[in-house]
Amino acid sequence: MSLQDNEKEMEKDKENKNTNEILADALADKSSRRSFIKNLSIGAAAASATLVTGCVPGADAAVSGEMRLRWQEFFKKNYRLMTEEEKEQTVSRLERLAALKDGLELQIGSEPPLPKVLYGYAFNITRCEGFMECVTACIKENNLDRKTHTQYIRIFEMEPGQLDPSTGDGKYFHEVPVENKFYMGTQCFHCENAPCTKACPTKATWREPDGIVVVDYDWCIGCRYCQAACPYFGRRFNWGKAEIPKEEITTKQHYLGNRLRPMGKMEKCTFCIQRTRKGRLPACVEACPTGSRVFGNLLDPDSEIRYVLKHKKVFRMKEELGTEPKFWYFID
Amino acid sequence: MNFGENKREGNKRTTMKTLMNGMARWLWGSFLLIPALLLVCVGTGAASEKKPFLDTIKSVDAPFDSRSVQQVQPVPQPTVVAKEEYQGGQFRVLARKEQIERHKCSNCHGEKEVKGKNAFTLTHGNVVVQHGREGSELACIDCHHPQDRDALEDKKGRKIDFDHSYQLCGQCHFRQKRDWLGGAHGKRVSYWAGERIIFNCTTCHDPHAPRFAKRFPATYSVPLN
Ligand code: SF4
Ligand code: SF4
Repeated sequence: MSLQDNEKEMEKDKENKNTNEILADALADKSSRRSFIKNLSIGAAAASATLVTGCVPGADAAVSGEMRLRWQEFFKKNYRLMTEEEKEQTVSRLERLAALKDGLELQIGSEPPLPKVLYGYAFNITRCEGFMECVTACIKENNLDRKTHTQYIRIFEMEPGQLDPSTGDGKYFHEVPVENKFYMGTQCFHCENAPCTKACPTKATWREPDGIVVVDYDWCIGCRYCQAACPYFGRRFNWGKAEIPKEEITTKQHYLGNRLRPMGKMEKCTFCIQRTRKGRLPACVEACPTGSRVFGNLLDPDSEIRYVLKHKKVFRMKEELGTEPKFWYFID
Repeated sequence: MNFGENKREGNKRTTMKTLMNGMARWLWGSFLLIPALLLVCVGTGAASEKKPFLDTIKSVDAPFDSRSVQQVQPVPQPTVVAKEEYQGGQFRVLARKEQIERHKCSNCHGEKEVKGKNAFTLTHGNVVVQHGREGSELACIDCHHPQDRDALEDKKGRKIDFDHSYQLCGQCHFRQKRDWLGGAHGKRVSYWAGERIIFNCTTCHDPHAPRFAKRFPATYSVPLN
């Protein structure tokens, strides 16, 4: 939907509706209590606007296209309860709101999981040289906040023989690779048995059928229980809306992925759901100059990831917790 | 990230849980203790007693047709069908020849005279070989075909196409080649699904100096929280 269409709609709204009509509409429509309350609230909002401004045209403006979109957004369901149609409606509303408010032309998707696919990831600790190109690619792809320097991926410079990133240096900034050190990356490991999802009081985070652990940013209340439950420090809480130069915003987005998150939400790596559900590699895998990152379908016996699991020495972090991360480290 | 902080958070959590437990007992009697204890179990992560996850995955052997993923687009780079097999099937590699600035080599390396004034640029003065043991680096004709400059030559005297240099590299770096064929070395181009198209050896490695140069990381990290 283009900006022009939106403006037209707004005009139409102004012409056709006033507060009383909306209330009348709402009362006439007995089919749904939900929509009644919804419309009533619109009416109330409009009415209070009348009180504040003391003139009726102001009230009409309050029921503008944007206002209505925002109300509909506010009353939408949890993503998992939405029908395909509702999913399409919400992404198109989000696109229209982004166009109205920020003049952004976004393509937000709601691609479903691919059948017979379970994503898995492997990280070669022998090959990684600590260049961190994965990190910058992730920041760009996933629209991470530039101001707070949020990163889903962390790279640790490790002493030989150590295999626990907590012993490594996560803040290095010097020429890499350094002799006799190795490098280890962490991010959300998309646990099969993810403790984070069990901690959420609003069911705003869950494991998708293709194994990706996602967050419905609009149902997250920002309590951060999930962050405390994650044994891998995989989650990042945003204290504000991401600040990104407009020309750097990745416009191809997914509802459960890299769309621009509201303030005060939990976010994390989604295996680049907006890419992987279209067959593409995650941004970090594509950016890695050393080929240390292997990604693929665990249910495909011919995939690269299965080759690694079969032929390489692999291990996972804190395996004894039974969280079953789908992220393996391997040695050449 | 800082795993030290993680531990601190963990302690905070346990303290809170204990506090909550106490309150629950005080308020509603001990029957509420059971769900509270359950919560603690979830928090610390109960070990699963099922068949190990890795074994479950490894036991999946139904073929998956990754070409069935509809949205895969053709890659923009030129590719060629590899002269090797991957898990019993064919795959493609990124082509090399078009990437070589002055290909074909026989444009110069032939009967034609080469003018002296362009000597420096035309005699590969820019190539410094850092390949092989230090002090006894490889010579040009260790890889390049001594007569046919448009090709490479392996130690058995087989002519090797620039697009299929993995056949040459693999004679010394056979472990890497094995991993590369399987998918543990190198990488796929853009897509995990669709026809398998992978980077050639020379896509990442400069054959004259295959080790990656040291450099500063692309960014840096600040501590979490
Ligand atoms: S790594 Fe942490 S955030 Fe990711 S799925 Fe596992 S518990 Fe959840
Ligand atoms: S921060 Fe959001 S996703 Fe995490 S537990 Fe709270 S509501 Fe759920």
